[in-house]
Amino acid sequence: MSVRPVTDRDSAEWWERVARHEFVVQRCDSCGTLRFPARAYCHRCRTRRWHWQPIGPTGRVESWIVSHQPFLAGVTEPYVVVTVRLADAPECVMYGNWDRREPPVTGQSVRAVFTVVDEELSLINWRPLE
Amino acid sequence: MRGFRDRTAVAGVGYTRLSKNSGVSTLTLACEAVLAALEDAGLTADDVDGIATHRVGDSAAPSVVGPALGIHRPSWYLDQFGGGSVSHAVVGQAALAVAAGMAETVVCYRAINARSEFRMGGTGRGLPPGPEVQYQAPYGYFAPPQQYAMFARAHMARYGTRPEHFGRLAVTQRANAVKNPRALMRVPITLDDYFDSRWIAEPFRLLDCCLETDGACALVITRADRARDLRRPPVLISAAAWGGGDSFMSGGGADTTVTAAAELAPRLYRQAGVGPAEIDVAEIYDCFTYSVIVQLEDYGFCAKGEGGPYVASGATGPGGELPVNTHGGFLSEGYVHGVNHIAEAVSQLRGDAGDRQVDGAEVALSTAQPGYILPATSALILRKG
Repeated sequence: MSVRPVTDRDSAEWWERVARHEFVVQRCDSCGTLRFPARAYCHRCRTRRWHWQPIGPTGRVESWIVSHQPFLAGVTEPYVVVTVRLADAPECVMYGNWDRREPPVTGQSVRAVFTVVDEELSLINWRPLE
Repeated sequence: MRGFRDRTAVAGVGYTRLSKNSGVSTLTLACEAVLAALEDAGLTADDVDGIATHRVGDSAAPSVVGPALGIHRPSWYLDQFGGGSVSHAVVGQAALAVAAGMAETVVCYRAINARSEFRMGGTGRGLPPGPEVQYQAPYGYFAPPQQYAMFARAHMARYGTRPEHFGRLAVTQRANAVKNPRALMRVPITLDDYFDSRWIAEPFRLLDCCLETDGACALVITRADRARDLRRPPVLISAAAWGGGDSFMSGGGADTTVTAAAELAPRLYRQAGVGPAEIDVAEIYDCFTYSVIVQLEDYGFCAKGEGGPYVASGATGPGGELPVNTHGGFLSEGYVHGVNHIAEAVSQLRGDAGDRQVDGAEVALSTAQPGYILPATSALILRKG
């Protein structure tokens, strides 16, 4: 893929941690809610003290598509995008490409894999949990 | 909401030609549709004191359209950022302004060269705005058909919704478009044609997706009592609702098979004093086949999860219990980002829909994108005046 993430001041550190292959979400210091994407305030208790919480890099496939239309310049082969609901943070979903030839199944248990793009950028992709 | 119900009306509708290449600017499209709507109402631009649109940076703003038509010093205007989810909110807000006496004659329009200049799917266009895009775009996931395909598959997995259900909807709407002189696609299709159409983003095929269209559509909103003295039969705005639902990424664990429409529908019906059983015809936002199916459920026309079988039963076709997208919708008439759905509802309630007229149509529902891309939606209930 050729699109780099356009990060913001809330998200930049999350991307830096992904580049170091850390699998984290935010945890609210006040109420313990796990949240992703990165935000300053907890959407549940509206406080803003939090820390990065390492969690298990696993989840379940919530849904998936096979993209055929060449929406991205230069990408002509079909590719799979999955939505994954995180096992340790069931209110959080992440996206990613599918790291296997065999297509996913909705509900399937999966594990994150870090795909290195370059020194500054890694992406989280997904494969079946063996 | 007795202070709002039936106090305002749609007094005029206007269209440009719908095409794949208008050859003109979006400003020209906007002006042409606004003038056509005013002509339809028996008014002129000199009568206009309010201007409203919704857009995502791809249209002409009220601040440009007003001066271009010699509409100087409007007393009210709205330049609403947003896509299809706010399409009906714009008309609702115009009706509020009229009901409150802040304006007397408002034109609402949408002008878009969505095929020849600004394709929503990404080709020739930058990434959409929003803080969630960074978590999606690097995976090649950002175009509306991809996003809707993702939600559609979740619904299929949970409720057993099938490709045949999507296909039946596309076939039915094409049959409606065959009877619509405005429609871009007037050649009938079969279920086989649906299954033979190429993949866009599985589970969506080409015929699951709306057209990308150049065109504009405009509406004239004024007080109900004034509309009765104008050229055309008035169509009353019985209810207008808009508002938020869950964000499926940032909102915390939301069920992706339920849209913002499920929360909005009870408010909308209460405002109008009717329920789903009283709706004679529905123009339901059909950016993709699935968006109609999920809204049929969330607006209460069938049980949750039964939208697919409901469509397959023929209920939404001509002569069915709820004719849907009588103009052919975005799938077959053309994509004017929600406004052409409202305009078709007006036509049905005036009784001037020609070969596609629903007999005895008195109450219509028209809906916006149900809140999958931005977590909000909007809708109107209109009544024969």
